[in-house]
This record gives sequence, structure tokens and C-alpha cells, in this order.
Amino acid sequence: MSRWRQSVVEIQTRKRQVNECERAQAALSKVTACFQQMATSLGSNMDGSFLREELEETRTVAHKICSGLHRRLLSLLIEMEQGQEDKEQVERLWVMILSSLENFQRDLKKVKVLQEIFPLTQRKDRQALINAGYAGGTSEVAARAAMVQTPWLSVEETASPDLKNHIVEIDVLLEEMFQRVNVPLWSVEPTQEAWVEGVSTQDGGQEEDESLEDIMEVEVVSQNSTSGCCNHHNCKVGCLLCLLS
Amino acid sequence: MTVRSDRDHGQRYRPRMSCLKKVEATVVQMQDPSTGVKGANQKLNVTTIPHAITGQDIVAWITKNMNMDNDEAQAFGTMLVAFGYIYPLQDHKKLVLRPDGSLYRFQTPYFWPVQKWKAEDTDYAIYLAKRNIRKKGVLDAYEQEEYNKLHKWMNHKWDFIVMQAKEQYHAGKARQKADRVVFDCKERAYWIVHRPPPQTHSAMDYGLDRHIDPNAEEKKTYDYYRRINIYTQQAIMRSRVKSSVSLGALVKYMTTFKNHDPFLVPCLPSNPWQTDDDSYWELNKPDVEIPTKMRVERWSFSFYELLNDPRGRADFKIFLKKEFSGENLAFWEAAEELKWGTAASMSEKVEHIFKTFLAPGAPRWINIDGRTMGLTVKGLEHPHRYVLDAAQTHIFMLMKKDTFYRYLKSPVYKEIQKKAISPAPHDFSEAQLQQNMRNRRPSINPIITWQKEQEEKAKAAAAAGPVDIKKLMASKLDRK
Repeated sequence: MSRWRQSVVEIQTRKRQVNECERAQAALSKVTACFQQMATSLGSNMDGSFLREELEETRTVAHKICSGLHRRLLSLLIEMEQGQEDKEQVERLWVMILSSLENFQRDLKKVKVLQEIFPLTQRKDRQALINAGYAGGTSEVAARAAMVQTPWLSVEETASPDLKNHIVEIDVLLEEMFQRVNVPLWSVEPTQEAWVEGVSTQDGGQEEDESLEDIMEVEVVSQNSTSGCCNHHNCKVGCLLCLLS
Repeated sequence: MTVRSDRDHGQRYRPRMSCLKKVEATVVQMQDPSTGVKGANQKLNVTTIPHAITGQDIVAWITKNMNMDNDEAQAFGTMLVAFGYIYPLQDHKKLVLRPDGSLYRFQTPYFWPVQKWKAEDTDYAIYLAKRNIRKKGVLDAYEQEEYNKLHKWMNHKWDFIVMQAKEQYHAGKARQKADRVVFDCKERAYWIVHRPPPQTHSAMDYGLDRHIDPNAEEKKTYDYYRRINIYTQQAIMRSRVKSSVSLGALVKYMTTFKNHDPFLVPCLPSNPWQTDDDSYWELNKPDVEIPTKMRVERWSFSFYELLNDPRGRADFKIFLKKEFSGENLAFWEAAEELKWGTAASMSEKVEHIFKTFLAPGAPRWINIDGRTMGLTVKGLEHPHRYVLDAAQTHIFMLMKKDTFYRYLKSPVYKEIQKKAISPAPHDFSEAQLQQNMRNRRPSINPIITWQKEQEEKAKAAAAAGPVDIKKLMASKLDRK
């Protein structure tokens, strides 16, 4: 059906669906970013059953968004014809969701391994947790993730799998996506240019961040200024495997 | 998007990283609140740095718990820092453990190096974009280069990367300020380990990826045992030399050559690599008139040394000319040329060699035994590079066992021994050394050297060719 024959309703529906997918993608990004923040506390002294519960909840939210988004986008792509106006937009979304899923799956794998290395079943396991210097918890991050809502109005009941199955499920999803949709990934042009993302922060945020950089630079206690790696006076090499020491 | 395929024959197991598991166990022990390294919140100026440990504490703990001495403990600690389990708070780019009051902190397990997964480029791109968002212009030169490269290469993913960077930035903002600082330090330390700045050594360097996981125990199946059997059988079948014999040969070699090794004995006049004075090379050029004494001495060590040195070979040629037995050496040289020459010129070379050396009644007939002669002539029907190998070895042995010793006793050799010079060792002062360094000049263009060599060869060939009696007589008659 060429676009001249598509009725207004159909065009509007499609637009709505595409917008829904975009918002879902943004939501997924948010949730995965929060998930990663929380995952960095795993195994540290801030780790605990509370953190793991929060992680589980975030993962559930992500799973909901993922599966819904995947289904919708797949249907959009399959019924896409040549020369549609939003072809580029949909393809861009496609690449984004693929990359997001991969990224999320990597985080999931790491979380799985970390949870195995640092099991919290016994009291003495708490001693193994690395004191990494964290003082506060990640509850604000979890709250941020929990605030994300799935943008579609209908409520879908999909059972959320546990961690191992989730990883496998993403694998299956990715396989399916590759097989059913024939989009060359490298032909997608991004909308963002290089180096532009640094411009758009507000002024207040920028100031606070500059002082952040300064705090990170702990004052260097002045030692004898050896430019080499060891204390040998001939060592001009800045490398680790200096044979002079 | 990474391309996936079912039958992935890719090599993706990293070798030499199996130490990581053991290091992890040590780090877990180290940070134990009761028995580990004592850390505290350090006060520095106005700020409190949460839970930092000092370098000397780390070294002390390692020395005590692992029963090492101080130097080894320091090296071990540096390894921990290089792998990224502990990161320095001051001077974050240099991954060394300083055994003094400099501060370090444990890295969170999320950022630990794991053998199975490499640090992905997508994550690196997100990290760089995040830093760019945080503060423009904060990326180092090499990071900017990497950013540009990643932008070009992952162009199709760039929307995702920027979006994820923004979200991670905002997610990070949701935490308390102190934790934010700590997290940013950790992330930065992680990327210093896995994407090291240029001209630094990275502990993550490991060579090529392997096909098989080096950590996995190989299952002892039938195939495995069959392989082991074949391997051991082949090992038994190898020829063996008694170690006393091989050691004796080694000792003999060392006693003969020990004065000629520039590492053990300073070479005369001076080592050009150390003093920037190239008289050593000038005196030892292949076409020099008068060789050095050391060089002449080397010729007497073995026939192989004599032949390999171009000046020695020339001297040997002069001797052979006097003895009228130059055909052996000429044949040997021709066979060498055949071995090393181009494939196109092989057939004509073989023709020439046959006509000159091997055919019955040839002008420079070489005297090899009947069996070798028969084999060689038969092989010449289908010539290849090594067709003259048997004859060449025979001739070499002949020359070595007979002519070589006569050469060493001959007046030619004795004369050259007398003429050989022994240069006085240089004694440069610091100022002269500096001047030498400034006066370094490139040597002759190798093309010119090669051209000269070709000219010499042509002249020698013309001179060695059979003398045309008619022309000689004609010239003599003319003069009359």
C-alpha cells in the first residue's frame, strides 16, 4: 500500500507507536544506567540483601520495558514498506535497542558472576566484602529507576525470569531480532554529532562538576621527583617492567 | 552491534591471565577488616578521603602475610596496582606502588579485571562521552584521539552511546556527593588500566588470544591419550647427544671466541655504539685493504669463518690462485649463487656450471668422487635450488681438510698476519663523546655499495674466465 493510500488514522497510529517506542527506549536507557550504578556497589562494603533486592526490582522493570519494546518494534519493522518517512527513525531505534540489550546483557553477566563470588548467605561472608570507600547507599538511584514508567497504556502480564534465565532470554531475543529483520546496521546515521553532548548542560551543573574534578585530584604529596618508575638514577623509563631495579 | 555467529572459531581466551583469580583471593584477604591492611579515613586539608590505605601499610602487610622480603613485596604490590585491584589516589596515571605515605584505595569488584571479558569499546565510548558531558575539554590528547576513532567506527551506535552516557551521568548525580567522587575515581582508574595512556606499559598486555581456554582442565578422553602417546614416541625417537659432548663443544666454542665478543672484551678501537665513533666499522669493511689482527685471527679458527668473511675469502682466493687450484672455491661459490639466486636464472646458471665444472674435459673440472658426480649430473636434468648440495658439501670438506691447513701454513697467510693492524683503543673524554654524537653521519648509500660489488664481480668473472689464447697472441703480435 503506497503512502498515498494510507488513511490518516493509520499514519497517526504509526506515529504514535513510533513515539511510544522512542519513549520506551529512553526509559530503558534510564533503567539500565541506574542498574549499572547499583551494580558497581556489588561486592563492596555497601553490598547487602537490600542492594540485591533493589537490583532485582530494577531488573524486573527493565525486563518489562524490554519485552514490550521488542515486540512493538519488531511489528513496526516487519510491516514497514519501502520509502516510508520514518524508516530512518525506526531503523535508528532498532540499532539503539540492539545496543541497549547487548549492554544490559553484559551488565547482567557481570552481576551474576559478582553475586556468585560474594554470596551473602552467611554472616562471615560479609567480611569478604571489599571496603571500597562508599559511604552512602544507592537508594536514590533505585528510586530513580523505580520512577520510570512503561509508556504503553495496556498492562501486560509477563512473568519476569530470574537472572540466569534473563541472560539466556536476551540471547534468544537478539537471535530472533537478527533473523527476522533485515536491516544493515552500519547504514544507520546517528542524529548526534561528535563532541556536541558536552555543550548542553546547565550552568549550575557545570560548576558543581568542575569542583568535582578538583576533589578527585588529591594533592600529590611531593616525593623525590623521579621521573622513572623506580628509584634507580638511570631509570628514565616510565614503564613497569624496568629491569634496573 | 557485535556480529554473532553460531560456529565461532574465534580465539577469545586470554592467556596468562589465570593469575587474576589468585590475585583476587589475595585482595579479599587484604581488605579483611580485622586481619587486612589497616585503612582509615584520611584527612587532607579540608576534605576527608574515605577509606584510603597507605603504600607502606600495603607493603608491610604483604611482607608479613606472604613471607617475602621488602623488594619482592613492593613488586607484588605494584602488580596489584597494575592489574587494577588497588588504585592510587595521587598521580592516578602512574600505576606503581610507592612504599611511602601515598594513598591507595581498593577497587570495587565490578571494575575488577576478569579473564573472560575484555573491556569493551562501547563502554569506553560511553565513558569518554560521559566525561565530555561532565566537563568539556577535560579529555587528554590521547583520549580525544580515541574518541574520534570510536566515533568514526561506531558511528551507527552513536545515538545510543550519547543517550546512555547522559543517563549514566544523571544516575550518578542521584548519589551522595562523596560517593560520586569515589565512583568517578574508580571508573577513571579502571579505564587507565584497560586503555592505558600512550608510552606506558600495560599489565593487560598478553599477546594473542587463544582458541582454547587455558584455565579449563582438558578432559582425558581417548583422543587426548592418543595425542600424548604419539608425542612421547616421537620424543624418544629423536637423536640424542651426550650432554658431556655437547657441553664440551660449547666450552670449546667459548674459549676460542671469548676474546672476540664485544660484550666480554672491549673491541678495538672502540665500540661505535658507545662512543659514536665508527672507525671500528671502517677498519672492518668487507673490501678493506689491510684487515685487523683480530679479524685475521678469526680466520684461523675454522674454515667456515674464513669463507664467511669476504676479506678472508678474497685472501684465500689469492692463495688458491698461486696454487692453481681455484676451481674448488669457484665451484663452491657458484653453488652458493645457485642456492640463493633467483628462480628465473637457475636453468642458465646450471648450464654454465655444468659446462665449466662438471662436464668431462671441462676447463675447471672439479675432482669429486664418481658416485657424487653421477648423482649430480643426473639431478641436473631436472635442476632445482639444491641440486648441487651433495657436490658442494664434498668440495667444502675437501677444501677444509686439505687446502685450509695448507693455507694457514702458507706465506700468504703469514704475510697478511704481519701486515694486519691492531688499532689502539680510543680514550674519549666527555666533551669528545658529545662532539662525536653531534658529528654522526649516515654511511654510504647501500645502493652504491651494491653497485660496487657488482662491478667487482664482473671484473673477477672476466679475469677468471678462460684466457683467449688467440686474443693474447694477437695483442702480443701487434706490439711487435
